[in-house]
Amino acid sequence: MKQLPPFSAVAWTIAAFVISALPHLAAMPPWLAAGILGACAWRLAAARYRWGPPPRLLRIVLTGVALVFVLVAFGGLWGRRTATVLLCVMLGAKMMEMFAVRDLRLVASVSFFLIATQFLFSERLIYLVYLVSGSLVATIALTRIQTVHGGQWTARGGSELPAIRQAAVLLMLAAPVALTLFVLFPRLAQPLWGLPDQVMDGRTGLSEDMSPGSISNLFLDDSPAFRVEFDGPPPPPGERYWRGPVLWNFDGTTWTRPFFGDAPSRQFVAEGPRSLSYQVQLEPHERRWLFVLDYPVRGPDQALITVDHQMLNRHPVTTLTRYDVVSNPDFTDMPELSSGAQAVALRLPEDRNPRTRALAQELRERHPDDRALINAVLGWFREEAFYYTLSAAPLGRHGADEFLFDLRSGYCEYYASAFAILMRAAGIPTRIVTGYQGGFWQAASEYLLVRQSDAHAWTEVWLEGDGWTRVDPTAAVSPARIEQGSRSVIDGPRHLFDLNWVENLRNQYDRIQHLWNRWVLGFDHDRQRSFLRGLGLPDLTTDRIALLMLLVLGLVMAPLSYALLRQPRGRAASEVERAWQLMLRRLKRRGLTRQASETPLEFARRVRNARPQEGERIVELALMYCRIHYGEVQDDARPFIEQARAFRPARA
Amino acid sequence: MSAVLRRVGRSLPGRTLQAWLDGWVARRGPTRPPLTLKYRQIFILPTRFGWLLGLLMFAMLMGSLNFNNNLGLLTTFIVAGLGSNSMLLAYRNLEGLRILKTGASPVFAGQPIQFLITIASDAGRERPGLELRHGSTAQVFSLPARAITEIALPVPTRHRGWLTLDRLALQTGHPIGLFEAWSWFWPERAILVWPRPAERPPPLPEGDADREGSEQRRNPDGDEFYSLRAWREGDPLHRVAWKASQRHNTLLARDLRQPRSRDLVLDLARAPGRDLEERIRVLTAWLLQARRQDRSWTLRLGGKAIGPDRTEAHLHACLKALAEQP
Repeated sequence: MKQLPPFSAVAWTIAAFVISALPHLAAMPPWLAAGILGACAWRLAAARYRWGPPPRLLRIVLTGVALVFVLVAFGGLWGRRTATVLLCVMLGAKMMEMFAVRDLRLVASVSFFLIATQFLFSERLIYLVYLVSGSLVATIALTRIQTVHGGQWTARGGSELPAIRQAAVLLMLAAPVALTLFVLFPRLAQPLWGLPDQVMDGRTGLSEDMSPGSISNLFLDDSPAFRVEFDGPPPPPGERYWRGPVLWNFDGTTWTRPFFGDAPSRQFVAEGPRSLSYQVQLEPHERRWLFVLDYPVRGPDQALITVDHQMLNRHPVTTLTRYDVVSNPDFTDMPELSSGAQAVALRLPEDRNPRTRALAQELRERHPDDRALINAVLGWFREEAFYYTLSAAPLGRHGADEFLFDLRSGYCEYYASAFAILMRAAGIPTRIVTGYQGGFWQAASEYLLVRQSDAHAWTEVWLEGDGWTRVDPTAAVSPARIEQGSRSVIDGPRHLFDLNWVENLRNQYDRIQHLWNRWVLGFDHDRQRSFLRGLGLPDLTTDRIALLMLLVLGLVMAPLSYALLRQPRGRAASEVERAWQLMLRRLKRRGLTRQASETPLEFARRVRNARPQEGERIVELALMYCRIHYGEVQDDARPFIEQARAFRPARA
Repeated sequence: MSAVLRRVGRSLPGRTLQAWLDGWVARRGPTRPPLTLKYRQIFILPTRFGWLLGLLMFAMLMGSLNFNNNLGLLTTFIVAGLGSNSMLLAYRNLEGLRILKTGASPVFAGQPIQFLITIASDAGRERPGLELRHGSTAQVFSLPARAITEIALPVPTRHRGWLTLDRLALQTGHPIGLFEAWSWFWPERAILVWPRPAERPPPLPEGDADREGSEQRRNPDGDEFYSLRAWREGDPLHRVAWKASQRHNTLLARDLRQPRSRDLVLDLARAPGRDLEERIRVLTAWLLQARRQDRSWTLRLGGKAIGPDRTEAHLHACLKALAEQP
């Protein structure tokens, strides 16, 4: 049995593992995380009390049990999450046999891998801290393992400081290379293999369908949904309708997308005088929608504009995605409504909402004109006691009835759904559009921040001559919601920290996050090209960029290597030594060179023979020098240093 | 990696390769002390752990590139930076080291040689985690700034004669063991291995003519006055010839000698033993015994005779002659 590794190396390795696994542990079932942490704790105790590894059979059984648990917990569903959890569990099991240099190193280096895999799930700014601390601890662990390598397990000294300092220096020296590679390593324009479809950990984005009362938690979520930079001035708040899924089908409780939802648009939207050009940075939301203003003229290459003017990405958006869009608000959507579309846009379940149907009949009799009818309903919403609130009651079977006649308080989904049902009952083709409305204008950084809490739902009615026209019933009830954003309509704090200065801080933080997204996370194939173009380089192909990278890498490495490999100049160790060397150099200039074989005294005596007038002085100094170096009683070096420096041999 | 190259020398094609490799190394620069390690003598390759991390890095790179994951890429490139730096640092840890000399005191066959290698560093920085390796034995050490150290490497011996050590390696995995830098060098001279003394040798051959026949008990210090000589440091006080010293105005000490006994003649041809090696071993034991008893002896090897003498130098000359016996 080999000697056991020292506590320090084991502790640093485990620390590296735990830090890099922390986000993964938080995302897995608690009992699994507890098991892994338990294994780490056992290994630490083993290092502390010098226990040996458990029997081989026990190790195999425990590992097998852990694997079975993972399979049960994840139901054999293979994805990135399952893979990383499996990796964490395997490393946890490795704790039981982490007793050799090889195993320690393996765990420490896989920590880097764990850090990298975490970024598949989230790339928020805060994870920079995680990246730096994880890498640092893993490097310290590797340094510590190296110092005990070679069969000599006895660690030098008790202090951890030298190892920490060495690791920090190593990381800092790695930074120039890492940054060069980061900027110049050619990015892929197309992924090499398919992207997985599920990455978000229970975070909600806008859902594919809408049933009033089911997703109110989204309105409490202040995390950013996307950020927009406009080429010109931003549109006024009342026009910031970010179009998402368009819902046509209604089954009585839930609005869903129609079967033709993914069909490409056959209408050409031309650019107009009011068309807007802007860039959107979309946070991952696992769906294919790219949010745009009405009506998208053109989007990125990999996107498709559907028949109801949604923009769909080719793959689900699983990483921060940047896209350029041009929208033209002046466009008539479907001046002619086909009979098929009309049928879908009018369909209602027969046995629901009798009171709403009756109201629709009554309104229809009073207002034969569609526009007058719509205005009448909006006026009714405005004048009657309808309230906008986020704490709305869930609706039952006759949802629109309950809402329009009894509750009269709810948020956008309630209004949109009830309004659409009312319109359809009155014979006006209606569809629901979900997406986001508004956004916070970061004036200092000139971008629009749209949060999850800005999620919104509105309706579009088809009117003779105008085509599909946006009608937002919420605006009738609560104009502030549209003009000043979702935050303005909420009375009282939503949670404990809903304070103004916290809000300001959040906005400040988001500006940093925006820069981070823009320059670090969004630095993709296109941005790399435009960055290089900005430097005045011509449009480079991938292999040219690779060549450039190697060139710059050489340029960066050269001074680094020089600084590292430069031998410090042959400076004498002590002041005494330097004074003595100075004296020798002065004598040498007068033609008196000390031979390598001569001791200081022998040399001084030879000088005395050659130049008696100052020889005594030299012998005296040589004696002082020898006494300082070899004397039993340590002489004070000061007089010698002063006299030796002052010594000037006369010209021969 | 040098471990792989070390292992090469086992098979026959391996030996050819080894010879070629050694020749190539020798052509690149000095390989025998005293030598200063420069870039021509320092080799560097990734360790097994280095390859493993490289593989891991490749996986990270492909994954991050595919998912266009910039933080993942950054992590990958940090590891790459660590790798490239640790290559430089491993090289730097050896660069400029001076191997001043190698050598060892002779030992009897069967005892391990303490092979001493003197290594100096002029650099103003520490050189941690150095490893000196010969075959399967290795010694780990660190050098402080501007220091000279002597490393003892135990080398087992089996046969008498001149032992030529093969290649030694001075290597380092500093700072995190991703790369191993190493330098090969050969000792500047062979080491003498004396014959192994017989364990229970027959008594010393007292010769056929027992003329003087006086076998006095020998006092190690001797008790017979021999001469006066100048006092040397270390002479015990009771040896000082105080009266004589006063007369000559300088300290004199009495030199004492053993009563002179008969010379021994140790002849290889007449030593007991079944074969040459056994006779040599017996003879070796006799030499040591004679020296212990401070007797004068002559060693006869075929036609050659060494001695008579009784000194340590004589003993060494005799042992060397025995070790070199064909």
